[in-house]
Amino acid sequence: MTSQREITISPTTRIEGHGKVTIILDEAGNVSDAYFYATEIRGFDYFLRGMEADRLPFIISRICGVCSTAHVLASVKAIENIYGTEITETAKKLRELLLMGQIISNHSLVFFFLILPDFWFSKEEDPSKRNAFQIMRENPEIGRKAIALRSFATKILDTIGKREVHIVSAIPGGLISPLKEKEREELLKAAKEACAITQEAVSLGKELFEKNWEEFRKAGDYKTHYMALTDDDAIEFYEGKIRILNPEGDVFSEFAAQDYMKHVEEKRYEWTYAKFACLKALGCQKGIVQVGPTARVNVNKKTKTEFANRELEEFKRKFGSPTHATLLFDYARLIDLLYACERTRELLEDESITRTDTRVKVKPKGGVGTSVVEAPRGTLAHEYALTRNGRLKSMKLIIPTQVNSAAINLNVKDAATEFIRKGEIKPGLLNRIEMVVRAYDPCIKCATRNATDSLKVEIRNHEGRLLKILS
Amino acid sequence: MKVNIVSLTCCAGCVSSFLNAGDALLEILSQDFDIVYSPTFVDLKEVPQVDLAIVEGGVRTEADEKLIREVRAKSRILVALGICATHGGITSLGNIISVKKLLEKEYFVLETSKLPELEDLMYPICNFVDVDYYIPGCPPMPFLIVHSLKSIVSGKTPTRHQSVVCTECNRKIIAAKLDRLYGIYDKEADPNLCLVSQGFVCLGSLTREGCGAPCPRAGFTCFGCRGPTDSLLYRSRDLYSFLVKVISKRTSIPEEEVKKELYRNPFIFHTFIFSKFERFKARERII
Repeated sequence: MTSQREITISPTTRIEGHGKVTIILDEAGNVSDAYFYATEIRGFDYFLRGMEADRLPFIISRICGVCSTAHVLASVKAIENIYGTEITETAKKLRELLLMGQIISNHSLVFFFLILPDFWFSKEEDPSKRNAFQIMRENPEIGRKAIALRSFATKILDTIGKREVHIVSAIPGGLISPLKEKEREELLKAAKEACAITQEAVSLGKELFEKNWEEFRKAGDYKTHYMALTDDDAIEFYEGKIRILNPEGDVFSEFAAQDYMKHVEEKRYEWTYAKFACLKALGCQKGIVQVGPTARVNVNKKTKTEFANRELEEFKRKFGSPTHATLLFDYARLIDLLYACERTRELLEDESITRTDTRVKVKPKGGVGTSVVEAPRGTLAHEYALTRNGRLKSMKLIIPTQVNSAAINLNVKDAATEFIRKGEIKPGLLNRIEMVVRAYDPCIKCATRNATDSLKVEIRNHEGRLLKILS
Repeated sequence: MKVNIVSLTCCAGCVSSFLNAGDALLEILSQDFDIVYSPTFVDLKEVPQVDLAIVEGGVRTEADEKLIREVRAKSRILVALGICATHGGITSLGNIISVKKLLEKEYFVLETSKLPELEDLMYPICNFVDVDYYIPGCPPMPFLIVHSLKSIVSGKTPTRHQSVVCTECNRKIIAAKLDRLYGIYDKEADPNLCLVSQGFVCLGSLTREGCGAPCPRAGFTCFGCRGPTDSLLYRSRDLYSFLVKVISKRTSIPEEEVKKELYRNPFIFHTFIFSKFERFKARERII
């Protein structure tokens, strides 16, 4: 038998954006390398040069329709840092509420539509049935919950953001208009229902996760650094300090968000349109870092809300801290979701959120500014340089998926090594690779903002010849 | 009805918007609407033969071009969803620089064997295939998507939107007396008055209606994400002079002055429609 030396999985399904996996085999037919990469490019970093700063936030949100709100907020904060603008408490609360809407919108999408089919169906299930629509047909109640939660997030974004995808209300200086009392009451009522649904979703997620845990824990376990925002050891999304943990769980460094670019660097590889990001102090070999749900739990000791905190404590009890198993991202994401719901309710219970001082006047000027928010997939940083007359000179964005890329690649290589021996491919490779990739909920749209093609796995021999494409 | 949902180069915002339709989404899913292929939601890897294909995103890479041709060949009805698919969208701003320059400056010279080659420009899908219906917007509102799809599924022609966003905006248009134009941060907008009458550069007067005018209603200028209206697409394509006239009329600033101010902002008009529409001849199909 001629040994097959290269595998491709394409497209990777149930992730946002187009990705592809290539596995390279050595002469003996064992795995020598594996890549997960982006096959699309759009070029935002470059074509927006010269753009007026006041149009930047809503244009930049087009990087990603799934986490557009996080991009808008990072963008207005970066511009405010340049201008030296301090926004009002009311505006801060409303922005945090928008960000919570973003987390709920994304996490309910990821949990119900992308991940749940892996937990719900057996591995032997016909792939054409392994999807959320099939679950909704079999169990309409779950479909109703998924849509209700998603609709709740939409309502927050629509009421405060004024559009449910690519919000327009957040501008440098605050928010374009205040929240009306009637709107607050309606949202609060909806928030109570949403919290109840979230509790049920968390129970369902945990139950299915535990059922599969023995299988899931085999799927990769990488001791890397972790990075997330923190506010006094509690999970924080809108502002706070950045903390990086080393693989043993000790604080590696802690710094102000404005200094982000001093600590993280980008690296390009010729085989992907997405750039990688890693810790500057250690370089890209040793400085692998992960962001996202697991990182948020590892970096922090608590959450500021009651039920999410209980879940977080239970999580740490069960899996330790820091914990490293890749598929725990799917579990930790449920803690985020619960926190976001509870925090939303808390913010809405505060009647002062309807105060009308949502906006301060900005004094535009040139300079460089960096800002960070926790996006659904992890720490998101925007840095802009503006000219004196308010045009974009250059920008640098570091996106969660870029940071996670190195870890995703390790995971893919590991899965490949487990399933391929001497050129023989055991069944289940494709599914395993897709699950570990999916756990990171990678947003290739964001990482490439810039480029796509869905997941492909290519297997190539040591000379680079394409041997096989799995899809 | 079997349905494909396909994503080309885009931000995935249009499919997100579709998912935001709430109960209307549940309703359409419970009817004769069976999503059989969609890399975002369904594990099927081969594009199947279907009745309806919904395509978001435009054509930036050769892989996109190959896929859209395959999708067209395998679907009875093809709907272009969102401004990237219909007009090129934000990504078409990349057309202002050459692909070579883009890759050299921002990346590196690529080993072409491993990644899909880029097209010379970002194209709307109509440059490669026939499109049955266009639903522009960045993204189109959930209700617009669901209403249009419902009509299509039941064999009817969806309601078309041929007028401008101003017709859906409840602000009062007056001929104000202003001496300059304003950026969105410069001052707070009066909640009842037309944004142009207040000196903001709002594109509502040349943008297709159908969105419900959420941005200008909220006090944020329309930035044209639904693309030009029928009349501007065909009769007078000069959006620029048209807008200069509208602004001058509503602010009493002389046309020459307005022109000077607008010249400073290169991104005003073509943020979403910078591509070329080679085969964009189907006015009656824009919803």
